[in-house]
Amino acid sequence: MGKAHHVGMADLVVLSSPETLVTLGLGSCIGLVIYDSAARVAGMVHIMLPDSGKSPAALEKPGKYADTAIPALIEEVCRKGGVRSRLKAKMAGGSQMFALPGAPADFLAVGSRNSKETLEILKRLGIPLVASDLGGNKGRTVEFSTETWMLSVRILGKGTTDI
Amino acid sequence: MLLDRPVDMDVPTAEIVSIYRLAEYYGDPLSPVSAVFVRSEGDFPCSLIFLQSEEDGQTLVDLLLSSQCGNILLEDIPGEIRDSALAEGGNIILSAFLNAVNELTSGVASISVPSAAHDMLGSILQVMAVLFGQYGDDALIVDTSLRVGESSRSIAGKIVLLPDPGSLESLFGKLRVF
Repeated sequence: MGKAHHVGMADLVVLSSPETLVTLGLGSCIGLVIYDSAARVAGMVHIMLPDSGKSPAALEKPGKYADTAIPALIEEVCRKGGVRSRLKAKMAGGSQMFALPGAPADFLAVGSRNSKETLEILKRLGIPLVASDLGGNKGRTVEFSTETWMLSVRILGKGTTDI
Repeated sequence: MLLDRPVDMDVPTAEIVSIYRLAEYYGDPLSPVSAVFVRSEGDFPCSLIFLQSEEDGQTLVDLLLSSQCGNILLEDIPGEIRDSALAEGGNIILSAFLNAVNELTSGVASISVPSAAHDMLGSILQVMAVLFGQYGDDALIVDTSLRVGESSRSIAGKIVLLPDPGSLESLFGKLRVF
């Protein structure tokens, strides 16, 4: 297995086979992978929030918001040799760690808004979503292999699943 | 005092941390922790999290339950009851902390019901990063550690206070910092 690259909050990393993309402890955030296995290139972005609202901060950290992260990731994967029509996506995350009855509805539900927005944008841009593991109330550690093209999702106390 | 045991709390420190560094801020993001989350509304709106290593969280639950359950064996108590005890323990500690803050400012606050989670440290800290991330790239963290009980079975924990944007200015105003 190749070298593991850590993708921190709001980071966007694109690399070639045989390296590995890792992100630790995804809570309400989304770990989205877009890859072209024929060109042996893959990228991961660690999305924190659904919508940049055209905030100038999004230019500096496009990976922070779903609406800026996904086009930036596609562009970067294609720049490193990926072919737009061959791109596929896998994603995990979007959970809600705490539930507070009576709290404003979207205060802690960022996870489900992140998932919804990411799914909509992928659909709109015509990137097929091959596999996903979303929602719930547990954190996830995810690892994407550019040899098997599998996304391994580890949940504390529940073990690891490959999707 | 909690459960007739002395509680020793450090002087809180405040720090501004980049939200992008927050997941690793308190150590290995993969280490298992217990966390209790509450919201406070009022003069000083904020979120509070009580963080413990999973082991210390479970010790706190044992202490809380062993004083209540008489002859029932601790290992026979279902997980939901344990989580509810954890949430209540965290709630008592966070409420005491918040009362102290509000006493300083003669502020009024209401506190939500607590919510408990067991998860990787990194995922819990991510909740904080996202709360701040909606407004900017930095998090203000007011952080204090506490220990319950004497040396033989002392429990450590951390209180993290996350003021809503703007609410810190009103707190400082009341304290006449400006």
